[in-house]
This record gives sequence, C-alpha cells and structure tokens, in this order.
Amino acid sequence: MSCYDLKVAPKREDRLKTCIAHSGGVCGMGGKAKACMIDDGERGFTQGSICLLLVALAILDSLPETVVLIHGAVGCGSCAHSQNANARSGAAARFGQAKDAIWLSTALNEVDVISGAEEKLKSAIREADRRYRPKSMAVVSGCVPGLIGDDIDSVILELQPQVSARLVPVHCEGFKTKIWATAYDAVYHGIGKNLLSERNPAVERAPLTAADELARVQEQEKLKRTVNLMNVSSMGRVDEVELERLLQALGLEANLFPVFAHPDSFHKATRAALSVSTCPTHDDYFLQQLQEQFGVPFIIKRMPIGIRNTSLWLKDIAAHFGLGEAADRLIDAEEREVRAALAQFRPLFEGRKVYLSAGEFRALVTAQLLEELGFEVSGIRMFHHDAFANDEYDKLAATARQDYTVNVANCQPFEEANLLKKVHPDLFLGHVNGNGTAAKLGIPTHTIYNTGLAYVGYRGAFEVARRLHRTLRNPAFNRNLAAWAELPYKAAWYASDPFAYLDTRKEAL
Amino acid sequence: MSAHFIERPRYTCSLGGATFAVNALPGGIPILHAPAGCAGSFAWAQNGGSGLQVGGNCGPLAIPSSNLQESEVVFGGDARLRQQVENTLKVVEGGLYVVLTSCVTEIVGDDILSVVKDFRAEGASIIGAKTGGFKGNAYHGYDILLQALFKDFIEARKPKRRGSVNVWGIAPYLDPFWRGNLLGVRRLLQSLGLQVNSFFAGEDSLEAIRASAEAELNIVVSDVYGIDAAVAFEERHGTPFLATSLPIGPSASSAFLTAVAERLGTAETVLDAALHEGNRTYYKTLEALTDCYQDMDLQRYAVVVGDANYAVALTRFLAEDLGWLPELTVCTDQLDGEEQARLTARLDQVKNVAANLVFETDGSEVIGHLNRRWPRSQGQRYYNAFSPAFVLGSSFERELAQAIGAPHLSISFPVANRAILNRGYTGFGNGLTLVEDLLSAIVNGR
Repeated sequence: MSCYDLKVAPKREDRLKTCIAHSGGVCGMGGKAKACMIDDGERGFTQGSICLLLVALAILDSLPETVVLIHGAVGCGSCAHSQNANARSGAAARFGQAKDAIWLSTALNEVDVISGAEEKLKSAIREADRRYRPKSMAVVSGCVPGLIGDDIDSVILELQPQVSARLVPVHCEGFKTKIWATAYDAVYHGIGKNLLSERNPAVERAPLTAADELARVQEQEKLKRTVNLMNVSSMGRVDEVELERLLQALGLEANLFPVFAHPDSFHKATRAALSVSTCPTHDDYFLQQLQEQFGVPFIIKRMPIGIRNTSLWLKDIAAHFGLGEAADRLIDAEEREVRAALAQFRPLFEGRKVYLSAGEFRALVTAQLLEELGFEVSGIRMFHHDAFANDEYDKLAATARQDYTVNVANCQPFEEANLLKKVHPDLFLGHVNGNGTAAKLGIPTHTIYNTGLAYVGYRGAFEVARRLHRTLRNPAFNRNLAAWAELPYKAAWYASDPFAYLDTRKEAL
Repeated sequence: MSAHFIERPRYTCSLGGATFAVNALPGGIPILHAPAGCAGSFAWAQNGGSGLQVGGNCGPLAIPSSNLQESEVVFGGDARLRQQVENTLKVVEGGLYVVLTSCVTEIVGDDILSVVKDFRAEGASIIGAKTGGFKGNAYHGYDILLQALFKDFIEARKPKRRGSVNVWGIAPYLDPFWRGNLLGVRRLLQSLGLQVNSFFAGEDSLEAIRASAEAELNIVVSDVYGIDAAVAFEERHGTPFLATSLPIGPSASSAFLTAVAERLGTAETVLDAALHEGNRTYYKTLEALTDCYQDMDLQRYAVVVGDANYAVALTRFLAEDLGWLPELTVCTDQLDGEEQARLTARLDQVKNVAANLVFETDGSEVIGHLNRRWPRSQGQRYYNAFSPAFVLGSSFERELAQAIGAPHLSISFPVANRAILNRGYTGFGNGLTLVEDLLSAIVNGR
C-alpha cells in the first residue's frame, strides 16, 4: 500500500525513524545502515522550536492564485507574517511584482472547541472561494481540529463540488509529530492527491497539419530533456537561476516545483524525464510517488552546495542522460574559474574555526563548502537525524582534523550556548532565528539560509565566501552586543555537561 | 468582514500576546506548556510584524517550552510540566517565571496552577496564566497576563502613595512602537511630577512592579487593551483606573494630562506648566516646517487602518493637530459591541473633521468601504477626487495605497517594512516624529 492511500502522511519518526536528540562525534555518525539507528533520547528540559505547520505554510504561501485557509486557533499561522516577506520578494523576483500572500484563519474560539467547527469551516471555504476566486485552496489544520475531532477531509469531500477552487487538505496538527520535516510529506501528500491531474486537458486529436505534428514532436522532445527541480522554499530565485544555468549548459530544462509554481501547472511534473532533489531531507515522499504513479525516475542523493557537491550533483544528472563527458567539461571549467576567484578571500579564512547549525543536510554540505574555502569545522548541530545524510558524515569524517562533536537538536539553544562557550569558534553559521546565541557571545555570525541570498552552485560558493569575508572584516556588531547583552542562562549551566538533559524526558512518564 | 474567518490576522493568539508581554517584563521568563511550534510561530510573527524586533533576553527559540507530544495529550502533561519547570529553574536565569498554557493543554485539562503553586511553596518566583490560544487574540493574552501579575505577583499595599501611578494599555511587540510609546507616556506623566510604573519599559523593575498596588491611580492608555485587568486590579487592590486613548501629538497629550491631573487633583500650576512646555516645544519646532508645508501643499485626505489604539489615536492626530482630512477610519480588531461603542464614542469627539469609523478585520475589504464613503469617478469631467491622499495602516495597506495612488506609512501591526527600536509617537515631542515620518513618505522622491 502506498502512503498516498492513507488519509494523512505518516510521521517521520515512524516512516524514517528520524530523531531529534543526540550527541556524538562526526566520525561515528555516517554509514550506520539504511535507516537511522539512533534511539531518540529526548530531553527533560526543552526550549520551543517550530512545528510542521510553519514549514508547510512557507511552501503554501508561495503558490500563486492560492488561498491558505488555516483551520485552528488564531495564532496558528501567525508565522505567515514573516513568510509573507518571502512570498513578496519571491513573487517580485519571478513575476515582476511583489504580492501579499492570502492566508485566512477560522480563528477557533471556546464555543468552537466545545461544539466542533466543521460547519464554520464549510462556511469559510465557501466564502473564501467566492471572495478571492482562487485556483486552489489549501485547508491546513492546526492542533485544535486534531483534538476536537474535526474531520477536514470529509468537509473537503463534501464541499469540493460546490466551489471552483481545488481544495487541498494539509494535516499539520503540531503535537502529532516532533519532526517538523513531516511538513514536506504533509504538503506533498495534499498536492499528490489533489493537484497533479490537468485541470482542463486539451482533447487529444489527430494532428491536422504538418505544423501541428511538428509542435507535438517538439514538445515530446522537450519533455525528454525536462528535469523536475525540487524546491520546497530552501532556495530563493537567485539559487534557482544558478541551477537552471548549469542544467541548460547540459541541454536540459528545469521545471521548478513546487514553490511559486502555479497550481494549475502541477501536472507538468508528471511528464518530466527525471526528478532531482536539491535537498534529500525534503523530497523522498513525493519523488517516490512520481516514480510509482507516473514513471518519472528520480535522483535524491545530494545538495548542490559547495564546489565538490555541486559537481557531484551535476554528474549524477548527466549520467542519467548519458551526458557524462559534457558534464566533465562543464565542471572542469566551472571549478577552475570559481576556485581562482575564491583565492582572494582565502587568507582571511585559512584555519579559522567554524561552527554550523541548520537542517541536517544543509548543515553538513555547508560545512564541506566552508572547508573548501579554508575554514576548519569545529562542530555541527542539526535539527534532526535520519539516514539520508550518512554519506555526508563520511565525507566530513574523512577530512576532519579531529573528531568534533555533532549535536542533533530541534534548535535548543541552551545546548548551543554551552557548546560555544567551550569551543570558541571564530565564525558561526545558523538558521533563521538561530544566530542570536552566537551573536550575543560575540562570535561573528552569518545566516545559513535566507531565500534572498545565493548559496547554491558555483555562484553560491563564491557569494557565500564574499559575504563571509565581509562578516569577518568587521564583526563589530556582535562584539559590541556581547559586551552588553546577556544570554538567559545561569552561570552554573555553562559549567555542566552540554548534554546533561539528553535522555531525561522519559523520567516524566 | 467574514463571520467565518479572519483574513491575515493582525495579531497572534492569547498565548502569543502573553508570551510577548513576559518577554518584555524585566527578568520575565515565559515557560510555555505547549507543543513545540507555538514559540516558533510567535518568533516569526514578530519577525514579520514587529518592525524587525524579535524576542528579548529570553526570546523566540530560547523560550522554555514543554514541547508536548501525542503521549502527553493521551496521558496528560502535568508530569512533563513539573519536569520542565524544575529544569528551567536550574538552567534559565530569571526574576519571574510565568507558566502559560496553550490550546492543547487547555483541552487536555492539565492543572498547571497546582503545579505552579507547588513550586511557589518551595520559594520559586513563579506564576501561571491560562492563555489557551482559542480563548482570544494576542491583546486578550496581554490582558490575561496582566491579570495574573495583579493576582499572584504584586503585593497588597495600603495606604496608597500620593503621586504614584501605574500605566498600561500598550501591548509589547503587538504595538511595534511599544518601547517608544511607553517612554512617551512616562514622560508625559513625569511632567506632572508623578512617579510612574509602566511594567514593560526599560526603566521599570520587578521590585517596582511588586510594589505597584501602592499606586493611587491606574491609567490605561487604551479603550480596549488591559481594561479587564484594570477592573481586576481595582477589585483586588482598590486602585481605581482611568481609561484614555493613546495620547499621540499635542491635542491628545494635552487632553491626557488634563484628565490625569483632574483625577489626581494635581495643582493647576503644575498642569499648566506641563501643558505650556509641551505645546510650546512642539510648535516652536514645527514652525520650521511652515513654508514647505504651505508651498508644497502637504495637506492630505487620509485613510487610517489600525488596531483599537491606533485607529483612534492616529485619526485624532491627523484631524486635530496636523489639519488633515481622515475620511475613513478602519479598526481591524474583533471587538464586542461594548468595545465598539467605546471607540465610536471616542471618535465622535474628534474635532475639525467628522470621523467615519468602520470595524473590519479583513484588509482586502477596506477599499470597498472607501468606495462607499467616497464615491468613485463616474467619468465626469469635474470629479472631486479622493486626492491627494495618504494611507496610514499596517504593511498590508501597501496594496490599498497602491490602488488609490497614495503614499503609505506602516504603523499598526504588522509592520514588516520598517526597523523600529526606540521610536514612539506618544506625547508632544513624538508627535513631531510622526509628522516627520508622514511627510518623509510624501517627499522621498524629491
């Protein structure tokens, strides 16, 4: 049975044995087995982080002509205020005009909690369809519907014939999974079941003229060279442009999917010759569906961040199309040019210690990029751990000068503060809302993820280096801040084992 | 306005509003009894709405949170909360720990107050508040948090101390200008010689907050936010309250000082001196604008879109101080009938231009209200257009401003397109800051 036969995508702690709480050395992490072999020893002290609802909205808010209706309390979805900035700048970069995303909340209140809110949801769907006339409407459930037993799937089944928008249920009951990456599966589950069929397919007719026949053949030839380039919002337009450029150099076309793709164009993904992941954390759920249902093969192995990993990513794709030699020539030229350009920054980078924190795959490949730039990796924290990135641990273990600590943590900056006080890195790269701890300790910081900035491909390697050079030339902001701002931890905490609270949550059971 | 949804809610939930407030309390440490995602949702709401301010000393993702999972939903989360509080007290430095509940813990029925009570009995500085997100919006959460402070943190004090007042009604981060606005109100009250406790300003302290029941008057600079808390304070500690609108600019500041002085029986000479000094400074400074204001024809029609505080305060400033024509005022909060009546009564008192107030949560509907208020051109040769115009609102009103070809300034949440730290609009001098910001938006292509 396929996961798509289920009502809700399974959570990743079940499907992939993903864990969020672990510490170990970089050398012991990779190559364990096909599945994650770490028992999740969860913490008895925790700090807030995010849930799958936030991640799902980051994708859904980008879709043109789409309304996102959040069925939950009024605070679920307030993350969209930040994501709206991405929706605006992303639309400006792609369509020439910034546009606010449209998200709505059923704002469940005490009465709804007691008596159920399916009727309210039905009315909301009807009214939103009438007011905004969207092509698609994502109905996203927060924690409350999951607790009071509202069945959004049956509501949607009932309402779909009454409205013009295509309705997409997306289950994001935050308490049900501790792995927020389950969001990718939840969104793909909704898309995969509801948006992949062509809306008004042209009726297939025998070609009337030679020109018709030519157009048909040309279209088929183009599809044979089209690659689904997966982006669930971890790349901005500038990064997409870099990957499109590289694929075009091999004679391939990119079909970018799903962020900022029009919901009525999603069927194109089912006709491509290949799907390629740009971050293996994101896409396995959907790529398997595309292969099983539509015969589109896929590659999910690497993230094209860093020179070597970009080249390997390209080689995999080229090999699929029998373009190995062309890729070798391209890679050779690209690498030579970017390496020469990077030489100017190297003196400032050489031998400096860097600490990284982000999603697992991104953190590991960015660490490799920083090694390529001349830095020495002194520690890595990752939001979760599963088996997708085992190869990347092996690569890092091969180049590590010592067996530095890796820390699996869904943020948990208290562990980070403790670690950084002990390691004293020269530079820190953290995710959104993840640089504050290092900054207040006076460590120069740079964001490891921002959809307006370039990170990916050869261009990204150069731009990251350029930005880090700028960061390190004048780190006064953080240095000054550290002299006055304080972290909220007791002095005794810094003296204790950073992992003192691992494996202690079960004591509360 | 829809009865079934809110478009792009301009606030988060009651848990969020309470969390923002605890973040802003001196030494305040929130402990969320909640699933993991609530804290992140609040951080991103601040990131996109609070003028680039996120957090505080124990802000966004550093906030202790029990990160509830399915097992706690099934078996109850009391034990997990106990563990979380115990460990928080070991790891996190704070002056006052505040346990806040979420939708999940309210529905599951965890008894957080008895957990809190046990830790208090052991000497911890800790209180709790039931802020489940479905109980209301973030402004409501701000109110709930204040009520919890008044009930369980501040000490009973009698007799009242002459000249000592408390002030609230400005919700941290939900008003992106909260720091500057609190400071502006403090300065106004200090000009009457009063000693001011304002809970969330840099000059406040937990000691002063703990002693705040000695105040002879509570002043709520809002017709909605913190009113329930003021009632609760009066019941418990016997201090009466005065509710005013947010005093932005010379007219409102003068009325504010006059009302406070009247309630406190402040000497007339003190009041007159404060009014004179405030107005004199404002107009002496404004004087320099006189030529350009006239020569460049800087008077504008205006649409004001804001929360309950700003909708009233900005409209009044434009009509009474700046001499503009605020033809439409939209309050984007969900208010009950009594609250709506209070705001309507306030706006009815605005001088010079009759205000037209609409309650509408959904930004995309504002243009419809404007078209009803100011009929669109029928193609007639001589059309009295709504122009030149200005839109004061949140950053969502950019699209409205674009549609009617007017400049725009983001003031009310969300403010995504400005960086705000210390800026405030309350008081006399800060009114000049607002003049600067409005006119700069008009002339920035000059």
